Amino acid sequence: MFDSSMILPAFVVLTVLCGMHARIDVYGAFVRGAKEGLATLLQMLPYLCAMLTATALLRETGVLLRMETWLAPVLSALGLPGEIAPVALLRPLSGSAALAAVRDVLKTMGADSRAGRIACVISGASETVFFTGALYLGAAGLKRSGYAIPVAMIAYAVGMLAAGWMISP
Amino acid sequence: MNVIFCMMLLAGVVAAAISGGLNEAQAALLSGGTEAVSFCLSMAGAYAFFGGLLGVLRESGVTAEAARMMRAPMQRLFCFAPGEEAALDDICVNLSADLLGMGGAATPAGLSAMRKMAAAHAPGEPPSEAMLLFLTLNMCSVQLLPTTMIALRAAAGARNPADITLPTLTATGVSCAAAVLLCKFMSAGRKRRV
Repeated sequence: MFDSSMILPAFVVLTVLCGMHARIDVYGAFVRGAKEGLATLLQMLPYLCAMLTATALLRETGVLLRMETWLAPVLSALGLPGEIAPVALLRPLSGSAALAAVRDVLKTMGADSRAGRIACVISGASETVFFTGALYLGAAGLKRSGYAIPVAMIAYAVGMLAAGWMISP
Repeated sequence: MNVIFCMMLLAGVVAAAISGGLNEAQAALLSGGTEAVSFCLSMAGAYAFFGGLLGVLRESGVTAEAARMMRAPMQRLFCFAPGEEAALDDICVNLSADLLGMGGAATPAGLSAMRKMAAAHAPGEPPSEAMLLFLTLNMCSVQLLPTTMIALRAAAGARNPADITLPTLTATGVSCAAAVLLCKFMSAGRKRRV
C-alpha cells in the first residue's frame, strides 16, 4: 500500500544518491542551498508583514467573514468548503496574501481538517496569475495578453475542482 | 499589487468604522507584523531544509539534465513560429526549475525566453501561439513537491505535512492539462478566423 509519509524520505534518499553519483560535496551543496532558502524567506518577510497586517485587519473587522458568506454558496455548489473563500480569491492576486489566508484556515479549522488540506492543495497547485502575467508580458514588451489570462483562470478553477474532488469529506 | 493592498486596508478600516470595531482594527494593525515575523521563524527550518535539498540537486547537475531531457517534447508542444526556437533552451530551464520548485532559477530563464520569442516578431505584434502557451504554463504552477505548503503544514502541526503532495500534483497536472488544451483550442479558433 502506498504511504504518503514515504514521499519526503524517498525524495531525500534520491537527492543524496544523485549527489553521491555526481561526486559532489553533498554537505556543502546542502548548506549553500539552505542559505539560499533562508535568504528567500527573509526576502519574503516584508511582503508578508504587509499582507498579514492587511489580512489580520480584514479578519478582525469581519470583512473576510462577509466574503465567505458571499462566496460560500458558490464554493459549496462546487463541493468545496466555504472557509477557503479568502484563499480562492487571493491566490491569483498575491502569493503572500494567499499564504497568510492559508495560514488562517489552518489555524481556525485545524491543519488536518478538510478545509485546511484543500486550501493547501489549491495554493500549492496554482500561481499568482496576474503578477506572473504582468512580469512576463512586461519582459517581452507586450501590451496585449491575448487569451492567456482567461485561460489561466479557467485552468485555476479546474485545479480547484480537482482539489475538492480528491480530498473527500 | 498596490491596488489590492490599498483596497484591503481601506476596506478593513471602513468596515471597522461602520460596525464600530475600531478597537479590533487597531489591535489587528499592530499585531499583523509580529504575526508575520513569528510565522517566518516557524517556517524557517523547513525552508532551509528544502533549500538544502534543492542545492544538492542543482550542484549534482540534475536540473541541467532535466532541462536537456525536456528539449524534444517541448519542441513538439510549442509549435514555434520561425525564429522562436532560440528560446527553447530557456524554456526547458524555466519549466524544469519550476518542476523542482526552484522559483529563483525559473523566473530569469522564463523572462529571457519571453524576450527571445518576442525578438522573433515585429514590435507591436500580438503575442504568438507559443508565447501565450508558455505564459499560460507559467501562470499554472508546475511543481513536483509543494515545499512551501509542506513547510506551512509542518508549522501548523499537521500529522503528516507531506500528505498533500499527491493531491497537489494531481491538481496541478489537471489544471496544466486544461491550460494546454484551452490554448490549443483558442489558437485553432484564431487561425480559422484569419
